[in-house]
Amino acid sequence: MAPLTIQQATKSFGGVQVLHGVTIDIDDGEFVVLVGPSGCGKSTLLRLIAGLEDITSGGILIDGKDVSRLHPKDRDIAMVFQSYALYPHMTVAENMGFSLRMRGAKSDEQRRKVGQAAGILDLDALLDRYPRQLSGGQRQRVAMGRAIVRDPKVFLFDEPLSNLDAKLRVQMRSEIRTLHKKLKTTIVYVTHDQIEAMTMADKIVVMRGGHVEQIGSPMTLYDAPANVFVAGFIGSPAMNLLKGRIGADAQSFDLDAGGALQFTSALDARPGQSVILGIRPEDVTLSDNGSPATVKLIEPTGADLHVNLDVAGSDITAVFHERLSLKEGQEVSLELPADCVHLFDAETETRLSA
Amino acid sequence: MSAQSYPGRRRTTWVIFIALCVFTFINLTPLIWAVLTSLKDPRDAFTIPPTIIFEPTLKYHIEVWTENDFVFYLMNSLIISAGTVFISVPAGSLAAYALSRIPRRSAGPILSALFTIRMFPHMLLAIPFFVMGTFLNMIDTYPLLILALVAINQPFTIWLMHGFFLEIPRDLDEAAAIDGCSNWQAFRIVILPLARPGMTVAALFSLLLSYNEFLFALILTGTDTKTLPVAIASFGGEDISSWSLSAAGAIGIMLPIVLVMLLLQRHLVRGLTAGAVKG
Repeated sequence: MAPLTIQQATKSFGGVQVLHGVTIDIDDGEFVVLVGPSGCGKSTLLRLIAGLEDITSGGILIDGKDVSRLHPKDRDIAMVFQSYALYPHMTVAENMGFSLRMRGAKSDEQRRKVGQAAGILDLDALLDRYPRQLSGGQRQRVAMGRAIVRDPKVFLFDEPLSNLDAKLRVQMRSEIRTLHKKLKTTIVYVTHDQIEAMTMADKIVVMRGGHVEQIGSPMTLYDAPANVFVAGFIGSPAMNLLKGRIGADAQSFDLDAGGALQFTSALDARPGQSVILGIRPEDVTLSDNGSPATVKLIEPTGADLHVNLDVAGSDITAVFHERLSLKEGQEVSLELPADCVHLFDAETETRLSA
Repeated sequence: MSAQSYPGRRRTTWVIFIALCVFTFINLTPLIWAVLTSLKDPRDAFTIPPTIIFEPTLKYHIEVWTENDFVFYLMNSLIISAGTVFISVPAGSLAAYALSRIPRRSAGPILSALFTIRMFPHMLLAIPFFVMGTFLNMIDTYPLLILALVAINQPFTIWLMHGFFLEIPRDLDEAAAIDGCSNWQAFRIVILPLARPGMTVAALFSLLLSYNEFLFALILTGTDTKTLPVAIASFGGEDISSWSLSAAGAIGIMLPIVLVMLLLQRHLVRGLTAGAVKG
């Protein structure tokens, strides 16, 4: 367990800079998820922390000690790879005990620690098997066991669930979370799946193009995204984002695409201001007297109803928890609560409303 | 999906089987001929039509193994082959591993250069080796022929092993580094055991090349280090009466290599096909 600090980290591959002065403070025992689209630099940042890539400039401090120029083995970290990276010619027990063996631990200690980790991860019956004899989920647990056995200061996870099927992914998500509660070790977890980020993290770091877009708790990012990118990235289905101007009465919104939206009360911006307006699909409701819309597509998920609507030429997605009997082509009226609206500057795309 | 009917498929299988039998027979004919010749009296060896029924004799096999310094030449061949394998495979594997782990744009030109060396006629390489050997006073010594054979064998070993190392995910190197391995330990403990099928193939090819090599052995060896292929060539000469002896020598030279191949053929087949499909 240790705090981890990344100070102004940059990384260039030849002439291409992929990380631009990233600074993140991670508290002792915190579960931090780095999330962002492909190519945003999240895996590169994780590899910098692990020491698998050399940092171009800046620093990485684990427990207050600058480790940015140390060999991976000297950083006291453990990493779970996307491919699991289990040694195919070693049994589960040998895989899990390998780091102890390399440190010169006695075989008694190796056996004891491997046994403990196997107990935590329910791997006792599999210790003599080889990785090829295991299922995807079991391999994933062995990879975690290998990390646990080391008792490192920081755990690093590089998209560890992306090779698993949807059901197993959900199960492993809660297993990793439970494991974190038990071990209380600092975790840095990389994923491109915002659901994983929302459900697992104490703190989420949203990245784009080698920059940090926002750092905060899952609900902070959900309730108050710092910019249009975060607003569109966090939440599923994604937030509806519409370009336009605040109407003269501040209660309507004139869309750039044509037409206008009516809100239940005044929007928190000055009339005539050019903005990007965001509203989450789950905040849109049906009413008798609101903005007229046409149902374009209905997608029932079982628990919810996802409805794609045409509102004055713009697409809006709504999520209804009730089982509504809607039909494609049906005319409806939408209630858009002003207090659920997120406003962003049209130029800078940064958040306007509090 | 195949549109071929079951009887059609069965007919195709039979045609392929017969074609393979014919092919195998054509390939084995010289060998069968050599075996028969080695068991015949020289007078029966070249009769037309060939003598099918004859009284087999092991006289020439015994003569090969007990006279003519056959065992001495065999030992030379084995020492030189073993030396070549023991230097060529580790050196080639290390080079191949390094090439598989550096950026492709750096490895590409080196691999291409190695390929060019492989294409180079060996005859043209033999002359510089002879000149260097003479200059260093190493003609007719084991190290000279071993080094020469290692040199001509390296491109193949490196190319072969490079392919094997490329298939071993780099994540394993990185996991080993995080688990506490130095680069050398990661190679020795994690990567090398996984490359064993490739190394077996590389060792076998290296062994075959050095054991059967004639040109370099002819030019770089003398009375002390003459190898079997060079010695066998001088067994019979043009004297037809010695052809049974030559044939017995040819069988003798093949025996060690056939034994090795039989013992390791499982690894050979697996090694040559390993990684052909994604596992």
